[in-house]
Amino acid sequence: MSPPWNLNAVPVEYLAPETEGVVVDLCGEEKNVHRLEELGIRCGCKIRMLCPGETCLLAIEGKKMCLRLNSTAEILVQPLTP
Amino acid sequence: MPTVALIGNPNTGKSSLFNALCGGQARVGNYPGVTVEHKTGRMQLGPPPLKIVELVDLPGTYSLSARSADEAVSVEVLSGEMPGLTRPDAVIVILDATNLERNLYLLSQVLELQLPTLVALNMWDRLGSEGIAIDPKMLSESLGVPVVCTSASKMIGIADLKLALSDLLSGAAKPLRSRESLACGAFPESFHRQVDELQRFLESQGCPLLRFQAERLLIDDPQAHSYRVIPRGLAAWVTQRVGQSRQELADQGVLIPLFETRARYAWIKQRVAGAIQRSPMDRKNSGSDQFDRWLTHRWFGLLFFILLMFLIFQSITWIASWPMDGINLACGWLADQVASMMAPGPLRSLLVDGVLGGIGSVLVFLPQIAILFFFIAVLEDCGYMSRAAFMMDKFMSVIGMSGKSFLPLMSSFACAIPGIMATRTIENRRDRMVTLLIAPLMSCSARWPVYVLMVSAFVPNRSYLSGWVGLQGAVLFGIMCVGALVSIPVAWLLKRFVFPGDPSTFIMELSSYKWPSLRVVIMRVWERVLSFIARAGSLIFITSVLVWAAAYFPGDHGPADKAQAELEAQESMNNPDTTKLESLREQVHRYNAQLISQSYLGRAGDWIEPIVRPLGWDGKIGIAVLASFPAREVIVATLGTIYSLGSDQDQHSQGLVDQLRAATGPDGKAVYSLATACSIMVFFALCAQCVSTLVTIRRETNSWRWPIFSFVYMTTLAYIGAWIAYSFMSRW
Repeated sequence: MSPPWNLNAVPVEYLAPETEGVVVDLCGEEKNVHRLEELGIRCGCKIRMLCPGETCLLAIEGKKMCLRLNSTAEILVQPLTP
Repeated sequence: MPTVALIGNPNTGKSSLFNALCGGQARVGNYPGVTVEHKTGRMQLGPPPLKIVELVDLPGTYSLSARSADEAVSVEVLSGEMPGLTRPDAVIVILDATNLERNLYLLSQVLELQLPTLVALNMWDRLGSEGIAIDPKMLSESLGVPVVCTSASKMIGIADLKLALSDLLSGAAKPLRSRESLACGAFPESFHRQVDELQRFLESQGCPLLRFQAERLLIDDPQAHSYRVIPRGLAAWVTQRVGQSRQELADQGVLIPLFETRARYAWIKQRVAGAIQRSPMDRKNSGSDQFDRWLTHRWFGLLFFILLMFLIFQSITWIASWPMDGINLACGWLADQVASMMAPGPLRSLLVDGVLGGIGSVLVFLPQIAILFFFIAVLEDCGYMSRAAFMMDKFMSVIGMSGKSFLPLMSSFACAIPGIMATRTIENRRDRMVTLLIAPLMSCSARWPVYVLMVSAFVPNRSYLSGWVGLQGAVLFGIMCVGALVSIPVAWLLKRFVFPGDPSTFIMELSSYKWPSLRVVIMRVWERVLSFIARAGSLIFITSVLVWAAAYFPGDHGPADKAQAELEAQESMNNPDTTKLESLREQVHRYNAQLISQSYLGRAGDWIEPIVRPLGWDGKIGIAVLASFPAREVIVATLGTIYSLGSDQDQHSQGLVDQLRAATGPDGKAVYSLATACSIMVFFALCAQCVSTLVTIRRETNSWRWPIFSFVYMTTLAYIGAWIAYSFMSRW
């Protein structure tokens, strides 16, 4: 059985509006990655893109969060197939 | 009296729960950063004999690794380091039941403080609509703490929570805290050894720390707030020692700080297993998402925000005009009554010209303040503000700021003091300093009386678009925007030359949309109305009396009082001699003009006039502006007193607007014009005329350098801005 997502991880800002992805890795400055994890953005959690852009609006486990990380951290997601 | 701390993630309903428990009036709002300092209240716990408990409401935080000043407050209170507060005897951790795992992260840290802990599983009523089911009994057993289900905004579960807290404090429910039962039990043994060594060393140096604090030193960034507990003499050694420890741990495969989050989430996963069930929910295209698609749209969202603000200012001018006229008439009637009961003299002048003329002129603007705060409270409570912050981040990032600065700046439109305090939520120090220094440029409610007075007196009351757009409302909106527009280049310059650095990141949780609570809105409006009246009764009262004294003394008022008494006697006749009446009026006016020009205030006006003349002002305006440096709205009271003293008594009932329109200089020309009014408004939009704001900047920056800097740059900007406005409008 094939996995429900494709195998190419992309930075979260590349998710198209209304598409979902699963976080597969967080990288960048450790203190920023630590903060993202404290906020509940961690490997395995599901993200839905609501409003893309440099500052993007995401739905993370049902809660909405806006993000602009300025390359200090990167959230890599595997887009889920519709 | 036992002390209980109340802590939780932002927007979990802490302040609502605090109010429900204490019957208090802590400010609540539907956006992050409403509570930025601890608040205390008292509550009674039953059954009889009733026990009184002090409850401390702490700022919202996602973890005890404090990044911002407001998060540091929570950590300091829980560690017992907050001056004036003892370490809490127990902690209530409020968790958002609809986002349990992330909220448990904070609980996992609080449990390590070894304080009796109680969990309030808030927003319990929303679980059904989110497709979530939680077994609170199982969760309580798994976490080892009592769990009470609540919905603070609907007062659900409050009695149960009080009962559980009573049991907790009486020792019936003791904490079960072996290291193995806690999240830190999953930390590597080598990490615990390093913490033990650090803790022992610091204790030997006279700096005993809680174990949790020593852990934070090893995990947190050296710039973090956790390092503030280290005495200056030991700081270098601790930083070096921590660096070595981290290296040793890294060599053993322990990656600091990331091992912490992973260990805690592993603990959380284990603890919630079986206690929480989720039904698959399709959240796509919910009503909230559709609203967000429009309200956060790059251009439509911005247009909506500007239109919304414009409509608010339009409606304020429409709605407030009737109550404003009513208060004006009432003040005039009261002044006439007092004048008719007393013979002319210093006491009557003090009461009529000083007290009623001063305070009455300010109280007239109470309806506008109340309506402005009504709209602000509605916007804050419905969840729109955090959307506006998201939208503004796109524009603010261009000048190196972030959307986090938007909420303090919006708060500053009500009052700069809570706005400056709200900068505590900004993690980046440079961004916080810039926001704090530009916050006083936002047009706070104290500027309203000045703007409304000038607009009502000198801007024609015309309407456009079939009466939907009023010129006065449009000018008010424009003048409210002046400070915000000027703050853009000021912020850019500060970021470029005073606080240079990389652009900061922006991470913010958006609160859910909800209907504004009528109770919250009314409480917020009431709080501001009381504060406005209190200022009118204290600072403005004292200033009015002082200004009256400066305008009344020295001088021989005998002839003026005699002429005034004759004038009033003539006016009270059934068939007064009109020629004599006119002659007496002119005589009174001449005496009053002479007396005010000989007074201390008149002499000071002569001295200040050359400085303010380029701005289109005369000495009286100069003096009124000078008197308003402690607080902006004082100018209205001062002008009220000055023009009340300098006029014949018939003009009390006309109100300050008519007195300003009728004011003439020694050459007989009108003192005020549209250009003068614009110059005054621009000056007030940009000037630092609030001692309380400057003191707050001093407190927040711990230095006098920044309030002095604010005062100098804002006053210079104000003078230049007022001169440009006067020069431009005079030619127009």
